[in-house]
Amino acid sequence: MVDATLAAIAQPAQTDPEAALRARRQPLARRRYALEIRQHMGWRRQALILAAALLAGLAISAAILVAAGVPANELANEFVMQTFFDGQNLRAVLFQAAPMILVGLAGSLAFRARFWNLGLEGQMIWGAIGATAVSMWQIGPEPLRLPLMFAAAIGCGLLWVLGPAWLKIRLGVNEIISTLMLNYMAANFLLHLVYGSWKDPKDNFPYSPQFRAFERLPELGAGVSSAIALAAVVALFAWWLVGLSRAGLYLRFVDANPRVAHANGVPVRRTIYGAVLLSGAMAGLAGFAVASGQEGRLTQAFYQGYGFSGILIAFLARNNPLAATVVALLVAALFVTGRSLQVFYQVPFSMVQLIQAIIVVCVAASDFFIRHRLRRVGAEAAQ
Amino acid sequence: MSGSVVLNWLASTPDFAVPYALAALGLIISERAGVLSLGAEGLMLVGALAGIGAQLAMGQPAVSLVMAMLAASAVSLLFAVMVIWLRVNQVIAGLALVFFCQGLTALVGSLAEWTNHATEGIGTMALWPLSLLPGAGRLFEQNAMVWLTLPIFLAVAWFFSRTSAGLRLRAVGENPQAADAAGIRVAMWRLAAVLAGSALVGLAGAYISVVSTKLWIAGMTGGRGWIAVGLVIFARWSPWKALAGALLFGCIEALIPQLAAAGVQLPQYFVMMTPYAVTLGVMVWVALSRRGAEEEPGALGQPYVREERR
Repeated sequence: MVDATLAAIAQPAQTDPEAALRARRQPLARRRYALEIRQHMGWRRQALILAAALLAGLAISAAILVAAGVPANELANEFVMQTFFDGQNLRAVLFQAAPMILVGLAGSLAFRARFWNLGLEGQMIWGAIGATAVSMWQIGPEPLRLPLMFAAAIGCGLLWVLGPAWLKIRLGVNEIISTLMLNYMAANFLLHLVYGSWKDPKDNFPYSPQFRAFERLPELGAGVSSAIALAAVVALFAWWLVGLSRAGLYLRFVDANPRVAHANGVPVRRTIYGAVLLSGAMAGLAGFAVASGQEGRLTQAFYQGYGFSGILIAFLARNNPLAATVVALLVAALFVTGRSLQVFYQVPFSMVQLIQAIIVVCVAASDFFIRHRLRRVGAEAAQ
Repeated sequence: MSGSVVLNWLASTPDFAVPYALAALGLIISERAGVLSLGAEGLMLVGALAGIGAQLAMGQPAVSLVMAMLAASAVSLLFAVMVIWLRVNQVIAGLALVFFCQGLTALVGSLAEWTNHATEGIGTMALWPLSLLPGAGRLFEQNAMVWLTLPIFLAVAWFFSRTSAGLRLRAVGENPQAADAAGIRVAMWRLAAVLAGSALVGLAGAYISVVSTKLWIAGMTGGRGWIAVGLVIFARWSPWKALAGALLFGCIEALIPQLAAAGVQLPQYFVMMTPYAVTLGVMVWVALSRRGAEEEPGALGQPYVREERR
């Protein structure tokens, strides 16, 4: 390391065109490359690299789909035309986007506090259970029912993440494992309910009785559910919280360096608790959005795939709430396309998961080119 | 409980314990080299699918298990490139690997129509003369993989504590800067550790599909990979403690069907929660006792970049 620095001082730069030409004429095997950390890259080039990574991910996914038996021209038609330019499908995307936005925001908020909340699915399940419990036990008068379900979903999601948050902050228990274990436990508890005492007595299928009309999230008009409006409000709140509020400032301190933050008088623990609990509350709301906005009842597998999508959205959006909203819309489009592919070409729904993973891999790999650059080391420098 | 129930329980324990033991051992190899391997759940699925595919095609369990190891290693190459050379955050890369494998195995499994096809597994192998013991002899009639697990553990433990290669691998995980200065090629050792560890994780997955259940269902590992990740923390990166932990988990899982067979009525879904609840409990217990915190590899989860000051 020292030698390299000294060499750089002794030979300030490779500005000599002669030397550069000589380096280029070297046989390939003898060329040497050095990897450098890039200090800064303009946002235009960053965006370009990000777009290239996204395109590469989509191209790989398209190749896999074609290999799986979907005709290539149908694929373009299905994803681009049908999903974005067809009124009915656009509504389906918005319909699907509400829980996506909520889990994406939940993920990005927790990750901002350096808390790997992989328990989004468990918190979602508990949110839906809380909302369904209010409906099952008919708590409160009819006009208050929906707000009560909303509050129950928030409360249950928040409580389900309280345990791992406390264990992490007080005892240093790895939150990745604890939140994941709680997912599996919540999923089994859900099965216990829908196969047990909450089973719909009408047709004996493993789901709860249907919600009444006033327990459903209403339509806004033109077939758009108010769930998306709810998600938009939460997104604005998250944007204000992270970008403008004092808590958001604290959160940035904690994210950068918890120790320095503590030394500067930032209430580190309270900030982490706040972010993680809010994350659980938002995931709970996502459960409410699916149960009350989409399914209209508690079903046995409604949560599947949302946990990963939330992590993916937060990662791709770099934990930025507004970016998360946009990415969530795209992931929702992917979900809708995936469902129709499943129906028409028997492509399993896990394909959606595979495509998301490929995109994450491509974007994560592209980060390398934003943070580093390859520089050719000339013949003189190599020796 | 009568004596025969206890014997049945203990005799069926190894079958449940082997996947945990092998997966945890694989993770220990990779994490000792400093690579946090969260992808175990996905790699187990890859092993399980490749194993059943080879089994359906050729019908040779030994070949199937080797194929599973190769397949898991091959897939983990993607992860290795991401974390070792592209320096992607190891948590994100591990999670992406899990979901990549979940999607991939479900897709391949349904396209190749390997789902729900029962295959022939491995027969039991009696450990003579112990298997002749009256009563307890049944404990020593296990399949060949159970018996093979012990030498695998012996070999890995010996490798870590008695060979210079093992010392190098641990040095890379403990302090890559110092290892690099001593002339050890950090990236190569990390790559080797990830590939070898993933092969064992794949073997653990193949054990579930080829030896235990003898068929493939999408997502059939059901969180066992995550439990193995927790088990490694519990075992403090020591192979023998991981084996003990795996036996404990095997005991708990083996108890459930025995109780059901004995006619004990338990709420089914709460029973299915127990492995996860026990994992959580074990993690809390480890944190409370705070034993051996210094045993964690020093550079676990950190990418190594030469010439970068941290």
